[in-house]
Amino acid sequence: MELQSSQWHHLEEIVAQAFADSARSLSQMTTGEIALHQPDLSFLPLNELPGIAGGPASVVVAVYLAVEGDIHGHVVLLFQPENARGLVDLLLGHPVGTCQALDEMATSALAELGNVCSSAFMTAIADRTGLEVKPSPPVVVVDMAGAILQAVAVDLYQSGEEALVVATSFNGALPGHLLLMPDTVSMARLVAALEAIR
Amino acid sequence: MIGVETEAVGLGEVKVASGPGRVLVCYGLGSCVGLALYDSVARVGAMVHVVLPDSSMARGRDAPPGKYADTGVEAALAAIVKAGASRSRLTARAAGGARMLSLAGSNPKLDIGARNAEAVRAALARHGISLVAEDMGGTYGRTLQLFVDSGRLLVSTVGRGEREL
Repeated sequence: MELQSSQWHHLEEIVAQAFADSARSLSQMTTGEIALHQPDLSFLPLNELPGIAGGPASVVVAVYLAVEGDIHGHVVLLFQPENARGLVDLLLGHPVGTCQALDEMATSALAELGNVCSSAFMTAIADRTGLEVKPSPPVVVVDMAGAILQAVAVDLYQSGEEALVVATSFNGALPGHLLLMPDTVSMARLVAALEAIR
Repeated sequence: MIGVETEAVGLGEVKVASGPGRVLVCYGLGSCVGLALYDSVARVGAMVHVVLPDSSMARGRDAPPGKYADTGVEAALAAIVKAGASRSRLTARAAGGARMLSLAGSNPKLDIGARNAEAVRAALARHGISLVAEDMGGTYGRTLQLFVDSGRLLVSTVGRGEREL
């Protein structure tokens, strides 16, 4: 995806606002301070996505949401399992190393994280571009990266070819990725909306 | 000691191999289907990583034949016969075709796995190749390895162990 520098700048602002909002909400939800560090944005072809998670057979924890509205597509938060468990401890206010397996409580904490981050993202997009987007309830899946990402890539194969990948880390220690995968029409709409921001 | 030479079969790819130590692998199959063809006399194997059920979905765009079940089965058959396999001895085994993300009221297109599985079965039947074993469906990912010299086909999963097909 080729963006002009002004469009790129607006996109970075949207992400920065979304991350600031997410950090605020997550900190309120929990007992501690949660910060999301320096988002790093890039566009990647769909078939290269498993690479960011260590390859198609690598085990990952994914929080998946479908998005509907002016933008149609998918949002996926991707974590390596140990980082997902670390995040659960952070979210539940437990000492590091408490979470050993993703039980029901842990899964629901991660789902809530998905809710907060994607809602903040959609709100930031709406604030800056006027595009109304609504995320579905989240689903948490632990499986091979290739298998999980295929499911969404296949839905977009007819149209979208690239995902917006935002790399970040929670409190500087727990890295993760947020993937925004709109279909082609939605991506064009988003880019046009970025262009129109003054 | 013979070295093991593993070759990944990526999305939409068709690969053929023969000889000791050669392994063909489809990593992380979700809704995709990995299809293995094998001739146990010539000891030649082929693998195709099917992404979508029907080549009419290509809408005129260039796509590798292995991407679709119909063209993928055809391409894999042609490739393995060219490599010395006898069509009459070929057997087929397949894995994948899962439904990875089941959202309530989600886009039915996300259940492409079931459609892929059905399309692969149909394409094999059209070509008169028997599907002797399959591990398709479910809600989990699979990695499929074909050990070309022995014909052993191994399905591995996350948390659900391994099984031979």
